[in-house]
Amino acid sequence: MPPIKDKFTIHSKAVVCQDVDLKGDITIGAGTVVHPKATILAIGPIVIGQNCIVEESAIIVNRRKEIMRIGDDNLFEIGCRVESPSIGNANTISTRARLHHTVRLTSYCVVGPGCLVAPIQDETFEDFTVVYGASSEYRLWSGRGKVQEMDLRRKHAEYLREMLPKFNRLRRGDNA
Amino acid sequence: MRCHKVPSASVRAEKNRCARNCFLCPLCRNTLSVVPSDPPEPEDPRLSPIATSTIGEPPFFLYCNFCRWDSADVGIVFDKPTGLAVQLQKYEDSAPDTLEFERLKEHFEQFIRVSNAVASNHPTGSNHMNSITAAASSVLSRDIPGVAKYSGRKSKSDKHNNRDEVPPYRSRFEAGANGILGQGGGENDVSFLATLEDISEVQTLEQRSISKFSDNSVTVPSDLRPLRIPLHSKKSKRCPSCRHILIKPEQKAQSVKYKIKLVAVNYLPAITVTLPSFAPPAPTLDKLKRSLTAKQNPEDEKTGPFQMQAGKTYPFHIALTNPLYDLITVKLSVQRTAQPTGKRPAFAVSLPAAAFPIAAYAEAWEYEDDDEMFDNETDDIDELLEMRGLSPPEREVRAKTRNKTVGVLEKKANTTVIGGEVVIGKDGRGDVKFNMLVSYTYRSDDIGSSEVEGGASKTPKALALETKTFSFYTVVDLGVIVPKDESGSNI
Ligand SMILES: [Zn+2]
Ligand SMILES: [Zn+2]
Ligand SMILES: [Zn+2]
Repeated sequence: MPPIKDKFTIHSKAVVCQDVDLKGDITIGAGTVVHPKATILAIGPIVIGQNCIVEESAIIVNRRKEIMRIGDDNLFEIGCRVESPSIGNANTISTRARLHHTVRLTSYCVVGPGCLVAPIQDETFEDFTVVYGASSEYRLWSGRGKVQEMDLRRKHAEYLREMLPKFNRLRRGDNA
Repeated sequence: MRCHKVPSASVRAEKNRCARNCFLCPLCRNTLSVVPSDPPEPEDPRLSPIATSTIGEPPFFLYCNFCRWDSADVGIVFDKPTGLAVQLQKYEDSAPDTLEFERLKEHFEQFIRVSNAVASNHPTGSNHMNSITAAASSVLSRDIPGVAKYSGRKSKSDKHNNRDEVPPYRSRFEAGANGILGQGGGENDVSFLATLEDISEVQTLEQRSISKFSDNSVTVPSDLRPLRIPLHSKKSKRCPSCRHILIKPEQKAQSVKYKIKLVAVNYLPAITVTLPSFAPPAPTLDKLKRSLTAKQNPEDEKTGPFQMQAGKTYPFHIALTNPLYDLITVKLSVQRTAQPTGKRPAFAVSLPAAAFPIAAYAEAWEYEDDDEMFDNETDDIDELLEMRGLSPPEREVRAKTRNKTVGVLEKKANTTVIGGEVVIGKDGRGDVKFNMLVSYTYRSDDIGSSEVEGGASKTPKALALETKTFSFYTVVDLGVIVPKDESGSNI
């Protein structure tokens, strides 16, 4: 495998802490927050959209050569590990959940704390899929409450964009 | 979970459930929260903020934050976010099972009253007999019409004839008629189950067992109702021999703390086992890269039991941490298990035979990670040992076993790491699991200390008057044996 070439494109309105592990070709969109100790590893390029939150010790990996696209308003909670080739908008990946490269998320999906999603064959979760519980059961959420939840997430990101720079040094992209 | 304190008088009336706004998710048993409906969806819900004036609007519903079940799924919504129990009551009270139960209660009420009067005249003396069980047992022992009379019983039932006069009970519906009325059970359930395609369409046994008794005919998840939270009682526990209180929870319902909490584990050395040959990978970039280039395999981050190959020898480490303010001397031994004749044991474990010391716990160590200080401390411990008069042969053995696989490997603050070894038999199979007897001795300076008096198994060993020895068994699970040919290549 040829050595991975670093290329970081970070939007000026994104908040990416200095103490993160970035490797490869990574694009981070406006308003997205990346906490310290997060890891983003791009063997193939990774493009993260707007207003996402990547928490401490979350790991995002693209193993393939194709671009891994992550949409807007996604929340990656502490210690989760995500290798899905594509992720839509407004998804929640809870603490220590793991998503293998065989699963793709559309939008408004919720993967519960500690859940492991590793289908043997490639699978795409439809909107509002919920994975929960010790045995990672699936169900469909009605979507009731999504407007309020997204409103809360936006405020969450807004707060972080304000507070994190007060206590952390920020990383700038190669473009800055 | 713990919600309210309920006066004991109302516990029975509320059927042992919380009667306020506390509900459990029928799918996953998380606590449900009451939430207002979403405001009308903006053009792009993710971009334009919602107006605060549109928040908190009815209808309200119960919502599970964990599995995202909500009560609107099954048609239960509320006009206001308070008094939900009362609003839900109408669903509960009109359930056919509830009605049937009420009818039964009514039917037996008069009978219970009579037997109450009798019971108060003749105290039974048994703790298990209250008026209801008395009534029930009396009914059960009644003669069954059409069945030959049981002669042994006859004289008694003659004597209390008036007590046994209960008119026959007639249920609201014939048994099995529920299905016809669309309430589940009977034919409907049979045909539902016959056409079932996915097991998740049926409630699990667990879901059914935590449902109220009135839900007993429900099999379909779409029929799930929010569950009222079952009440729990908080109990104190006393030592059976000296009546000393061991645990006493705080009174407040919301609190999960204890006023008194004397648990044995605070007085026993903490034990952790590691296998140096299977060090868990730290989630650093370097490691990540390695695992990525090595294999694209979902199993690469498997943290399951360690796989040990038959016929090999593995060293392992046991770290023991002393929670006491006194130095302890520990001795470990493996419990020999009886083998069926002609069968060789799957594995053999070696542990250091000699006793070894673990330094006392000192608060300062928690915050100090200066290595030099530890070295000094270890010297001090050696001196201390001599002062405390550990027998010379024991010290010699300790010196000999140093820097070997089996023996004391490391002493750091109040933790001592010892090394052991396991030899897996050529035809070994199954779990590498063994019972280990841990004995520890210490001399307490303050004789009046009552701390450990309630300890588990106290073996009086009179080394000196103030010396105390405790021993307990623990199970050490090192991993599983994989036969040579099947062993994974990822080791
Ligand atoms: Zn309550
Ligand atoms: Zn739930
Ligand atoms: Zn006692």
